[in-house]
Amino acid sequence: MNLTDGIQFDSFAAFIDMGGYAFNVWAVYALFALFVTVNLVAPLRQRKALLRDLRRRQTLNQRSAESTAGVAVDEANHKAERVET
Amino acid sequence: MKPSTLTAFVLTLKRDLLIAFKRKNDIVNPFMFFVIVVSLFPLAISPEPARLAEISSGVIWIAVLLSAMLSMDSLFRADFEDGSLEMLLLSPHPLFFLVLAKNIAHWLVSGLPVVVASPLLGYMLKLPADAYATLMLTLLIGTPTLSLIGSIAVALTVGLGSRGLILAVITLPFSVPVLIFGTLAVQASAGGLPAGGYLALMLALLAGSLSLAPLTSAAALRISVS
Amino acid sequence: MWLWFAKLGSPKWFYELSSKWLPWLVGAMAITLAVATVWALLYLPPDYQQGFTSRILIVHVAVAGTSLAFFPLMAVAGTITLVWKMKLADMVAKNAAALGAWFSFITLATGSIWGSVSWGTWWEWSDSRLVSMLFQFFLLLGVVSLRSALEDSDKAAKACALLSIVGCINVVVIKYSVEWWNTLHQPASPVSIESGSANGPEFWIATALMILGVYLFMSVSLILSTRNEILRRERRALWVQELLHESD
Repeated sequence: MNLTDGIQFDSFAAFIDMGGYAFNVWAVYALFALFVTVNLVAPLRQRKALLRDLRRRQTLNQRSAESTAGVAVDEANHKAERVET
Repeated sequence: MKPSTLTAFVLTLKRDLLIAFKRKNDIVNPFMFFVIVVSLFPLAISPEPARLAEISSGVIWIAVLLSAMLSMDSLFRADFEDGSLEMLLLSPHPLFFLVLAKNIAHWLVSGLPVVVASPLLGYMLKLPADAYATLMLTLLIGTPTLSLIGSIAVALTVGLGSRGLILAVITLPFSVPVLIFGTLAVQASAGGLPAGGYLALMLALLAGSLSLAPLTSAAALRISVS
Repeated sequence: MWLWFAKLGSPKWFYELSSKWLPWLVGAMAITLAVATVWALLYLPPDYQQGFTSRILIVHVAVAGTSLAFFPLMAVAGTITLVWKMKLADMVAKNAAALGAWFSFITLATGSIWGSVSWGTWWEWSDSRLVSMLFQFFLLLGVVSLRSALEDSDKAAKACALLSIVGCINVVVIKYSVEWWNTLHQPASPVSIESGSANGPEFWIATALMILGVYLFMSVSLILSTRNEILRRERRALWVQELLHESD
């Protein structure tokens, strides 16, 4: 079976034109693409930021546990937490 | 000896009514708001009787909805602030009845005046005289339903500092069915058609919210006050 | 059975299981959406009444159908939160409310773009589906704003759970009352999306494929944001701390 057989358009221009409803059809598909992309990319970006933040906190915690004057770091850590929440 | 639940119910009702009459603002303000909003519509739209008659039922119902929304705020607030709400939650009686008593007291002071005044405002908005009785009946059934539905949202947000807007955002969509049947009934009467079917549906909504809303509000209060 | 249930509720278990499943889900989603989109845009024969605008309907119907799943989903999650106090259910519900609002908005937007051709207007009060979708949108926004207003996350979880359950009942009541209201206010011209049922079987197969793709997309997006929520809330748990040592 030839893949081009079922295509409903004679030319690329006709494809873009969508039988005169270019704006409506393409607007809907563009909106749909945007919607899908945003709702997949946003959680992924959030995850990146979250992991970075959690790692930073982890190292801060470790350092504060090691150092004798860990109080200051601990405080900074708490402050960071309060800002986030 | 532990007083019966009925006694507790009556006492809560009496107490809330007493407080409301001591602080007249809670009664007067929602009512004044209702009257003023309705009076603004002819100024904004047109003084022409035919046009006013067409929109009157909708205008009155929307004004009722908004004034109910504003007055709801005072349902649990004072009790939450002075701690008596926590006492209510600790009471051995089913919270369902206590919340219901508070709801009824609240409706008596904020809903009933609106119902009583509605024919006057209907007249000012040139509502056909045939529809006065239906308007009052729909409001009589509809305003308690609105209070009951609203009390859920009030209970959910009782701990929040500024909640006037969030209360409206949550509750207004819930009031769509009441609004639809209320206005349909009034319009039917104004057009000389029977409105009994809509009133029956509104009664069904009232019965449903009478049994479910205090239960949900009680659960919501337990969540909010803990 | 209860052991299985308790296990399911453990965020760690969900995190690990979803790590295994995600690649497959993402793959299935990408393939389904790609095939459905290409088929819908290139191969689908034009409808004899609507011409090429029936291509809009495929997306619209898929998103609309999926958006109806949110309130039942949130109500079930809410019940689990209130009855069994399962943390995972609330993490899903939290993200579902926002995603559901997105879905409702896209449904309204694509619907009105379709309507601008078929009805000659961008908004039509006489279509009860449009109106009840608008109120579903409002209700979902209400849940989102309640969540953001309450600071205590445990309180917010329970409050939103309750509101979702009440909202789920209300969506049904609103739907029927709006339909009723609509039949009484005679629409100017009898217009309805049902006219799309004149489409051939090909249209419905493409739509079914798109619905499957959109459902997969919903699951993937929900799982991704739930995983973030798990990391955020369980950040002090040992397994999360260990996870941080590994690479991404």
